[in-house]
Amino acid sequence: MSHMHIPDGVLPIWIVTAGWIVTALLLAFCIRRVSSIELKRKIPLIGIISALMIVGMTLEIVPIAYHINLTVLAGIVLGPALAFISVFIVDLIISMFGHGGVTVVGLNTIIIGAEAVLGYYLFQLFREVMANKSMFREAALAAFLSLFLSTSIMLGIVYASNVSPEKIESIGHLAPGTGSDTNGPELLENGINFPRFAKTVFILCPVGWILESVITGLIVKYVFRVRPDLILSERA
Amino acid sequence: MDVSAIDYYANHGSSFLHGARALSKIIFAGLVIASVVISNSFYLLLAVYFSLLTMVIWTRLPVLKIVTIAAYPAIFALIFAAASWNGSWLGAGVIVLKALSAALAMVILIVTTPYPDVFSSIDPVLPRIIREGLLLTYRSLFVLLELTDNLVKGLRVRGGLTHGRYIKNVVNFSSGIGLLLVRGLDISEKFYGVLNVRGYSGRISGGGRHEKTGVNDFTALIIGALIFGAALVIKMNGEPSAYDRYVLAVSLAALVISTVYVIHTNTRGRAWKK
Repeated sequence: MSHMHIPDGVLPIWIVTAGWIVTALLLAFCIRRVSSIELKRKIPLIGIISALMIVGMTLEIVPIAYHINLTVLAGIVLGPALAFISVFIVDLIISMFGHGGVTVVGLNTIIIGAEAVLGYYLFQLFREVMANKSMFREAALAAFLSLFLSTSIMLGIVYASNVSPEKIESIGHLAPGTGSDTNGPELLENGINFPRFAKTVFILCPVGWILESVITGLIVKYVFRVRPDLILSERA
Repeated sequence: MDVSAIDYYANHGSSFLHGARALSKIIFAGLVIASVVISNSFYLLLAVYFSLLTMVIWTRLPVLKIVTIAAYPAIFALIFAAASWNGSWLGAGVIVLKALSAALAMVILIVTTPYPDVFSSIDPVLPRIIREGLLLTYRSLFVLLELTDNLVKGLRVRGGLTHGRYIKNVVNFSSGIGLLLVRGLDISEKFYGVLNVRGYSGRISGGGRHEKTGVNDFTALIIGALIFGAALVIKMNGEPSAYDRYVLAVSLAALVISTVYVIHTNTRGRAWKK
């Protein structure tokens, strides 16, 4: 649940645009980084990992509509650059199915992409520190920390959307009729009750983090047993 | 989310939307989403949702199934609305309707357009690795769904998923996903190899359907433009006005008439069952 299921039109346009710009820049950087890799080997892997993430994201586990992301698995198997590209593909496709807003694809890619990239680096770090044979603990711990950090990034973005430049600019300059729309404007002008939102997220998420960490750990353990090359090979 | 059903509807429908070009429908969806983004009027957003429902009825596809697919974001919109609660039901309704309308616009696009057509329309603006990734991902989805189905059946038959043994179930299920990854990768590699042998060069072909712009395209574009125009007029009007109520009344009338027509003539499902 680290990524944003915030509908289109709720976040301010400046933050949505900034999300797209940052994502485009990061994608350009990642594509440049993987340009040396033989795509014939990597494209099928991107395809299957992205599809696996979509399947995970569309399967609800418990009644609160929690779903697994498998982004840390993507990071571990694909490496940070390809995983970021894969995350963008996943966000684009699931937005077509109405799962998350289309305009927030940029922001979602940053959040989930960060999850995958952090997952990769944390996994590498724990691999060196723990030197465990099964890889379960390394992957599970990396997944848990990545999910916590990416959820914090998501909350940071929601918090930033409450202090938009337009609002700061409009303080003291609000003429009658400006800034107010037809119905329900109070909610959008006052923005989100951030402490309440953060509290809701941090109450609902840890159960999901634990579940996803365990599942990621077990998947990595299995894949490491049957195809260790998928876990240990060099990454871009 | 039933990806197989979505793909089936997209390929077997014969409504005016199925006959329109993918680009026209992408522009239509873009106009609806732009309306959703700029509007904070509960009544207008409800009118947009009713208009989209009317379009779903016109496609003669199973309405309830499509509405259910597009209703998924409403769960999260409710959480968001609860977090933003300030005592205004209309305000909460605005958030939920924004989620529902934007999702339904996208779902209308995807249930009336085969995926190669959608991807080929956005092909020129995407780098090769993303284009190929999109194609392989979508193809792999169907491979994975079939493998998942077999896996779950296999696990059940061998007692791998049983009531009361939750930890064991999680372990078996996770190993199953690992197996899916390994087997899915083999299939995906073979598929990509076959594509290359057959001369695939990174360009996605739309299949040559609906190459010329026709009445169906104009219909989709006009509806999209009308929705966006109404949102723009109401937005520029600023104050709460009667316009949004008029728009709501018109869209509700269109929905009721379309529903009655489809039920009366018993044409529901006709466009795709054959």
